[in-house]
Amino acid sequence: MRKVFEILIAFGILLVMTSALFAEEMRLNVVDHDLRNGMKILILERHTSPVVSFYLRFKVGSVDEHPGITGIAHLCEHMMFKGTKNVGTWDYGAEAPLLDTIDSLAHQWRREMECTKHPLYRGDTPRLEELRQEIAEVQQEEKDYVIKDELWETYMKNGGVQLNASTGNDGTQYYVSLPANTIELWAYLESDRIANPIFREFYSERDVVNEERRLRTDDQPWGKLWEEFYAAAFTAHPYSWPVIGWAADIQMILREDVERFFRTYYAPNNTIAVIVGDVNPERVIDLCERYFGPIPAQEPPPPVITEEPPQTGERRVTVQFDAEPIVAIGYHVPGGGDPDQPVLEVIASLLSRAKTSRFYKNIVEKKLATSVNAYAPFSRYPELFTVTATPLKPHSTQEVEEAIYVELEKLKTEPVSEWELEKFANQLEADFIRGMKSNMGMAWRLGNYQALVGDWRHLLVHKRELGAVTPQDILRVAKRYLNDDNRTVATLVKKESKKNTTRVKPESSRPYY
Amino acid sequence: MHKRSSLTKALTIFVVSAFLLSALTSRALAQERPGLSPAAKKIATFEYEELKWKVPEVGEEVKRKVLRNGMILYLMESHELPTFEMRAIVRTGSIYEPVEQTGLASLTGTVMRTGGTRSMTPDELNRRLEYVGARLSSWVGSESGGASLSCLSKDTDEALQIFADVLMHPGFNEEQLELEKEKRKEAIRRRNDRPGSILNREFNHLLYADHPYGRIQEWEQIKDLTPEDLKRFHQRYFKPNNIILGVAGDFRTKQIIKKIEKAFLPDKIWQAGKGWKQAKVTFPSSPEVTKGYRPGVYLIEKEITQSNVRMGHLGVKLGNPDEYAIRVMNFILGGGSFTSRMTSKVRSDEGLAYSVRSSFDTESKDYGMFSASCQTKGGSTHRAIELMLQEIKRIREGLVAEEELQTAREAYINKYVFNFTDPISVLTQLMYIEYNDRPKDYLQTYLDNVRKVTREEVLRVARKYLEPGGLTLLVVGDLPKFDKPLDDFGGITVIPLEEPRID
Repeated sequence: MRKVFEILIAFGILLVMTSALFAEEMRLNVVDHDLRNGMKILILERHTSPVVSFYLRFKVGSVDEHPGITGIAHLCEHMMFKGTKNVGTWDYGAEAPLLDTIDSLAHQWRREMECTKHPLYRGDTPRLEELRQEIAEVQQEEKDYVIKDELWETYMKNGGVQLNASTGNDGTQYYVSLPANTIELWAYLESDRIANPIFREFYSERDVVNEERRLRTDDQPWGKLWEEFYAAAFTAHPYSWPVIGWAADIQMILREDVERFFRTYYAPNNTIAVIVGDVNPERVIDLCERYFGPIPAQEPPPPVITEEPPQTGERRVTVQFDAEPIVAIGYHVPGGGDPDQPVLEVIASLLSRAKTSRFYKNIVEKKLATSVNAYAPFSRYPELFTVTATPLKPHSTQEVEEAIYVELEKLKTEPVSEWELEKFANQLEADFIRGMKSNMGMAWRLGNYQALVGDWRHLLVHKRELGAVTPQDILRVAKRYLNDDNRTVATLVKKESKKNTTRVKPESSRPYY
Repeated sequence: MHKRSSLTKALTIFVVSAFLLSALTSRALAQERPGLSPAAKKIATFEYEELKWKVPEVGEEVKRKVLRNGMILYLMESHELPTFEMRAIVRTGSIYEPVEQTGLASLTGTVMRTGGTRSMTPDELNRRLEYVGARLSSWVGSESGGASLSCLSKDTDEALQIFADVLMHPGFNEEQLELEKEKRKEAIRRRNDRPGSILNREFNHLLYADHPYGRIQEWEQIKDLTPEDLKRFHQRYFKPNNIILGVAGDFRTKQIIKKIEKAFLPDKIWQAGKGWKQAKVTFPSSPEVTKGYRPGVYLIEKEITQSNVRMGHLGVKLGNPDEYAIRVMNFILGGGSFTSRMTSKVRSDEGLAYSVRSSFDTESKDYGMFSASCQTKGGSTHRAIELMLQEIKRIREGLVAEEELQTAREAYINKYVFNFTDPISVLTQLMYIEYNDRPKDYLQTYLDNVRKVTREEVLRVARKYLEPGGLTLLVVGDLPKFDKPLDDFGGITVIPLEEPRID
């Protein structure tokens, strides 16, 4: 009787497990379709509200750049909003020769600029200012033909929300959510800007990018630190430079450079479109075939050649800045798809997620730091496992570093508890289900896996891998990567600002009105 | 509900004929377009199926019930996913704290969550929640407070019990209070590290001074606060009859009501004024915002590459009937991203800023603010300010273009559906409508009110509520870098950036 009972239990467990797995596969009923030109279309239905989210991903990022043109992928993303032959102008025929004139003047301007880069440069180039003026004049003429920001306006008028784009190391994405009856509008606008983009108003947009650099990096403690941190951790690989680009490089990029970059990388065979929401997949495929289908495929873009050589000793960087101390620590680790990556994600979670995490209990609650965060990336190439911390005075960044290393060393010698792993598994499940509430979130997730690993199904594979991590895996992976010869540390130290020499006589001090 | 196709057709015909008309007459205004782009012509031929949806209503998709303990409960079932979400809104706020105790309300809100409860240590509370992947947070803001919960529906009973315990009997554990104070002390120490933080803090203070909307947190105000202080604050306001509760997710209405009533049972033993039980809540008188403009040019010097600029003045109170026209006006001025005048000029045209925008708050109980801001390199500070001021003046000088109004109107109408895609968000909107005593059909009439806004209305509210001469202008930046003298805009008052008084 007991044997029968046991068999029944085993069968029951098997049934539950299988149906759970089956249920997962069922829930992600993604329709997967390739256009003849190589463009990938992924569609996920969700009919709870009459809305759709669109995520268009190009497999190009700052990792595809080289010194001299860093920042070009991001600048290209900005330019993609400036219109096409059909969008943003009421007479492209009249506009085109003006754009050509601006280009040739800009070319001359750059040649002059290049002279100033020569180490033995002595001279004076009044020609630079003249050229700037000439360009400004032609730009003024061009304005007569421009319908400003028509793409943005068209999307907004049609109820577009979450409208934006972003460039990362590994990819560039364009996204928008729209009411469900505007799919054709999206297909038309997006296919048009892949087929016929015109990078008008280039020079003002380059200035905008300069301002963005100042805003996010130059004037921000974390921005500045992060840039120098990565530049030190990566000596050869493109992850070394920031996505926004070095200021000197941005300055020298011309419209024709961005066009060339665009033609190389924005091929339909290098593109993924993800559509999630209240849609009929057949209709979506039909529209995609009609609008994106005619765009010709291209030669696959060149791969990234340079690999980061193994790090053989700790690197330390100090950044002086007018702000309180902060610290960033990084270890070289494999990219997404590697079997060790999920283990690193579990490690990061146990270390710093919420208030039962190790960093929180042993460092924050001990008042050494106000926050300590660990992060494990899922990237195209080997990247960094990072820990960032904000010390709590009077504790120094060194003390906080030591406390962090104590926790990391523990991971190499003491297996983590069952409770922690069960917590992780439960959080994984809850996050996954919560994530399904967001069309844009799902589109992003599917698009990202498709782009980085070549298969959207990796979303589920990855989830299984994360849930299957054991204490032994963690011991092994911690020992393998979290070592000081693999480590880069960047510390921000407070630069005392020059004594306040006010040029304007202060009328009062607080209260000041 | 929305006959989008015929509306769009009508509007398109109107817009196209308006274009043709202006092309035939004169090309005086830069706004007018001599023609349509090929894309606009093509898009005008698109057909749109009618979008079928309606604004959820109390009594239909949403249920409302007053519980025996006085709590008001909103419910919306949603069985798409096995999740459970809860949100409580409490009538309280930092408007009720004395200025010497600035931060008391906010601390109470935070430590409610971190300080454990009468029956659970902080650690136990964290462990129970995090083990099941549930999230619970609590807060007290300037005009309301509350808590929110998210978990899988299988953990509803456990999470509900914890949520109720936190609301009713928070422990305010002393160690956790000290930890939170230390975190805030460090935040005060770091408050001048980022230009944006300096700008927003000091700008609010310039407009509101020591009114709760503009108070600056200092260490001496919170350093001596005790668990008793927080308990007293909590007990004064966290009474069942002072709370509106919303639940959305995978449950059966009848069942969940029973569970909630049981979880929030009144205390059997309690002393007058203390404990969880229906009781009168007294609210101290809160200060009023001193009406009026405070024009002036203020400078905070910092060696940064960009100037951080903000200009503005007091605006309107919650419930002002001009709110729809104001929203549309602000959308056109600087709130509608690239479609708006400020963004179009300062960023898109001249490349002076990455982020430039205006906002006009219509949701604060006392006077909210109008403000416009940007960040631009030191060497274009004067130019950027000049352009922004020009736009504030221009929108008061003449009617906005027809297509500008259409863009704003259509944007509001067509994106409205997005307000209702998430049940807990639907409930939160309805709960705040009740909390703020707004008309019960506010959500149903919203779009009709937007449609009523005409170009004349936009001009009227621009003239009534924007006052270029009354602007407070604050710049955080490096004076020697500026392209032209800042005092072109008025006599400068320098605000010294002092080291926070901490140790």
